[in-house]
Amino acid sequence: MTLINKGFVKDAESASLSKGMPVLKFLPTSVPCEASLMEDIEAGVDEVMGDIIAALTRPITAEEKSPRPKEREKPARIIFKGSLEEVNRFFYQGGWTDGLPIIPPTEEAIAEMLSGTDLPPDHLLGRLISRLGRATIEKIAINAVMAGALPTYMPVLIAGTKLLLESEPGFMGFTTFGFSTGSWAPFWIINGPIRNDLNLNSGSGALSPGDIANAAIGRAMGLIIKNIGGIRKGVEDMGVMGNPMKYSMVIAENEEESPWEPLHVEYGFGREESTMTVSYPQTYVQHWPYGSDAEGILRSVIDHLPRGMRYTFIFTPPHAKNLAREGWAKDDIKKFISEYARIPGSRFNSMPAIGGVRPGLYKGRISARDSDTVALIGDPRFIRIIVAGGPGAFIAHVVGGGATPGKKQTQKIELPKNWSKLVKKYKNIVPTYAKY
Amino acid sequence: MANRTGTGYEVLSPWAEADPISLRGISPRITDLGGKKIGLLRNSKRAALPILNVVEGRLKERFPTAEFTEFANLKPNEAIIEQEAKEKFEDWLKGVDAVVAAFGD
Repeated sequence: MTLINKGFVKDAESASLSKGMPVLKFLPTSVPCEASLMEDIEAGVDEVMGDIIAALTRPITAEEKSPRPKEREKPARIIFKGSLEEVNRFFYQGGWTDGLPIIPPTEEAIAEMLSGTDLPPDHLLGRLISRLGRATIEKIAINAVMAGALPTYMPVLIAGTKLLLESEPGFMGFTTFGFSTGSWAPFWIINGPIRNDLNLNSGSGALSPGDIANAAIGRAMGLIIKNIGGIRKGVEDMGVMGNPMKYSMVIAENEEESPWEPLHVEYGFGREESTMTVSYPQTYVQHWPYGSDAEGILRSVIDHLPRGMRYTFIFTPPHAKNLAREGWAKDDIKKFISEYARIPGSRFNSMPAIGGVRPGLYKGRISARDSDTVALIGDPRFIRIIVAGGPGAFIAHVVGGGATPGKKQTQKIELPKNWSKLVKKYKNIVPTYAKY
Repeated sequence: MANRTGTGYEVLSPWAEADPISLRGISPRITDLGGKKIGLLRNSKRAALPILNVVEGRLKERFPTAEFTEFANLKPNEAIIEQEAKEKFEDWLKGVDAVVAAFGD
């Protein structure tokens, strides 16, 4: 039997069901979650001691011995008929939206969305955690319609879903919200020619609302996670504070104005291939550099570094060019940051779960003392550098989780045969602001 | 964009279907904790160890002949037991009569 904070009972029941053990015994306790003092622990355990003993010794029921298998769901194809407002209310009440209004996924709208792929609607990409929902092309299209996506986004959404399905085991939950109390959110970086086909923003306000591709791709991925993965807030998604990045966090790299090779080329893809790369940040920091030269830029980067596991630094084209002009390659920058972003050894605690184990000196061979400074990142492979953003001096850090170096984090985007025709049809959908 | 009927929009479900999975039951319970070996299983979170320490202490008071053994998964994700430590974990399980698990969340 398992003792668990009472706020996590539904999460635990969901997790055990997904592992095929729906009758595991959980005992809710009043021990405060991740904020417990010894007196609360003792009081919380004392309250349930009788129940602990009973759970260990009470004979199990026939259902607990052999739970009855669930029958396969056979939902009706048309699940609701109603006005725009009624459909929205129905979907919201079903827990299927992100709280914002959706476009009704009608047969006609879904058919148009499916024109963005050569794959048949019933093609199964895999089963997405935690519910192991069947990630078919049609379900991706339905969620894409709801998010306001254009059919040309389908290849990206299929690549994103593949990335979720093939993410590093054990860390997949980060990308799908259903893991940890840390409110991790997927951060999608798009590289390659598709950026321009879709009008993905890599310039001014690239991470702000206002660009349909950046907005709808991230939103659709969030709905896919929610409705195909079966992730429910307060059940599987137990993020304490939540994270606005879960609405959408999509950026394209400004490859044209970068002095360095783009991210996907760095990861082994061809420049002419299009890719999607994912990490799962928790934190977004922006800061102004001390100066416009390498010293001013890089010293400010290491001074503004939050603690995390994986780091993406976004430099504007002018900063990237200034760095390159002084001879800084991406690898130099990564090595500099990983070596010189240091904090006192005394600031590390003993919590391995949050990356708080104090690293040793020189490849971990010598124990660090409180008085030593130790590297905050340590391994340059935990750092990613991209070029994006508009004119101006701000630098962005996107910090949180990500794949172990060498594990999958990038997926090639496969295009349908009629791609040029599709691009021609939808590329002109761009905002034209009023002149005043 | 959308096909509207006389009554409005006819919409499809975004909720994915899921295949039924095979279900497993739980092990038979023991009748008494006296003289039994109780496994204490925990994760890496802050409260997990102190919770189990208190549980062990309280159980020892009531069942002085019970023995205790612990298994800790200190990696930041639980899947580690299913991968790297599976064999070790299963061996540990074979040696216990009952398990109390605590997740420090």
